[in-house]
Amino acid sequence: MPGQTQDSAATSVARPRESPLAIGVRRILRKPSSRVALFVLGVIVLVGILAPLIAPYDPAAQPDIVALKDLPPSLAHPFGTDPYSRDVLSRVIYGARLSLMIGVLATIVSLTLGVAYGAISGYAGGVVDALMMRLLDAFLSIPRLLLLLGVLVAWPRLSIGALVLFLGLTGWFGLSRIVRGQVLALKHAEFVTAARALGASRRRILGRHVLPNLVSPIVVAATLGVAHVIVLEAGLSYLGIGVPQPLASWGNIIQDGSDQIATLWWMALFPGLFMVLTVMMLNILGEALRDAYERR
Amino acid sequence: MDGVSFDVGAGETVGIVGESGCGKSVTALSILRLIQPPGRIEPGSRIEFEGKDLVTLGDEEIRHIRGNRISMIFQEPMSALNPVFTIGDQVAEVARIHAGLSRRQAWDRAVETLALTGMPAPEDRAKQYPHQLSGGMRQRVLIAMALIMKPALVIADEPTTALDVTIQAQILDLLVHLQKEFGTSILMITHDLGVIAETTSRVIVMYAGEVVEQAPVDELFARPHHPYTEGLMHSMPHIGHDQDRLNVIPGTVPAPTNWPHGCRFRERCPYSWERPEREHPPLYDVGAAHVSRCHLAVEPERRNNPHAPLVVVEGVGAA
Repeated sequence: MPGQTQDSAATSVARPRESPLAIGVRRILRKPSSRVALFVLGVIVLVGILAPLIAPYDPAAQPDIVALKDLPPSLAHPFGTDPYSRDVLSRVIYGARLSLMIGVLATIVSLTLGVAYGAISGYAGGVVDALMMRLLDAFLSIPRLLLLLGVLVAWPRLSIGALVLFLGLTGWFGLSRIVRGQVLALKHAEFVTAARALGASRRRILGRHVLPNLVSPIVVAATLGVAHVIVLEAGLSYLGIGVPQPLASWGNIIQDGSDQIATLWWMALFPGLFMVLTVMMLNILGEALRDAYERR
Repeated sequence: MDGVSFDVGAGETVGIVGESGCGKSVTALSILRLIQPPGRIEPGSRIEFEGKDLVTLGDEEIRHIRGNRISMIFQEPMSALNPVFTIGDQVAEVARIHAGLSRRQAWDRAVETLALTGMPAPEDRAKQYPHQLSGGMRQRVLIAMALIMKPALVIADEPTTALDVTIQAQILDLLVHLQKEFGTSILMITHDLGVIAETTSRVIVMYAGEVVEQAPVDELFARPHHPYTEGLMHSMPHIGHDQDRLNVIPGTVPAPTNWPHGCRFRERCPYSWERPEREHPPLYDVGAAHVSRCHLAVEPERRNNPHAPLVVVEGVGAA
């Protein structure tokens, strides 16, 4: 071709800056299912953030424990009221706020621990790695729910902060396995050897060449992790050892109506619906992220 | 690998040639102490550079040498770049590590260096990610990374193997040109005698982890002494020489765990007799600055009656 310089230089210069992250985002947005998931999640998050503005009543107020208790859905109380005469809609709205917050915060704790543990284990290798992985096997052999039950039963009236901490502390095992595997593979990647040959320190290699390449599996794990924590928290709250009263979480609203579940159907249906929707959307998004980043 | 010993003078280009598995890359990585366990550098080894012994240097000091005084160009431009950062970022990183430049300064320096490698529109290119570039362009990026600190020595580990032929020639020209400009020494590691002939002044031939022949490039091509070198030369295709299949040296390089007693090449050597079986040959002096690890140096008459052809045309039988 006349006028062509070295290997098709001119053609690709015009292309926009495309980071691997941006490519992933574009791939996700192409899918209608993940667009829906993002939209629904966005609405639920917004509801949570704006809870004080949009909730029609105070979620803890018990205006008339005799006259206003156990009311089925009506115009005044679209989701009905609970046995303490509290407005269920307001509680579900505040529940969104708390459940999401617990999910996100606990996941941040898990991610930090999981990434640090996995990265250290994989990067150190050898005896350190073997010891750390056997210890992890031991942790993994105990079911998470059982671990949490044990702690929470031994420690009644736990604060929300402590609950988040324990949810986070029990949630990082799987992720650290994934991170370790990736670090092991990346450690021998040629660009890591190249970075070493060009004088990069261990810290720089870990921080700049290894961890940034872990972003995609971490994002996937985080999305699925939030969903998992929401379900766990609901389960614990339903058992009465999660979020303490009078705070509202989706789990403990269901618990408030659990002894009359057949008659007070609205108390299980609405918070349950929100929870299922949130978890489902998070899972759809997590799967889409996984597809987008792990295809390559 | 044993007893590999050679030197590279200032501004000189020395080639290391050999088949895959000969220990070329291990030699290269050893110079910068980058070999991974179970590989290790034997105690008592010396790698001397600008008056310092790299083997005994502290971690901090060797890091200061890597990328700064000695740098390396890798063979796979596809995988030697980090996929999640722009190429400008990666070139600039080297300057940030060694010259302590600010982000801005390092970026400008990176763009300048990319321009030196003949990258068109370097300001725009620097903002692109590795996957947006062709193999030849990526190799230019690796060269820019290796040269940004104007090192005294560049180790080029098969810098053109992964590229197609027209790009290979461009990259080699670029290396030779930049070497003249910066006065850098180059250690060119390759299995391609064409690359050797084109770029180097002195050649080291390696086989099964040891140096088997070393000579100035013209001397080596005119009078190859070691049967292995001779075999390599006869395996090169010749323009104007019509042939369906290429010649090959029969057999393969033995694994490091399985090196034969005596001469390591004897099982593939057409001249082999009892002496190479008994005695591991030393490096004999066979001419001007020319050494060869072959007993033929002292029993040259044995070259006259090989018991097998030096090279064969694979699949057709003896040529």
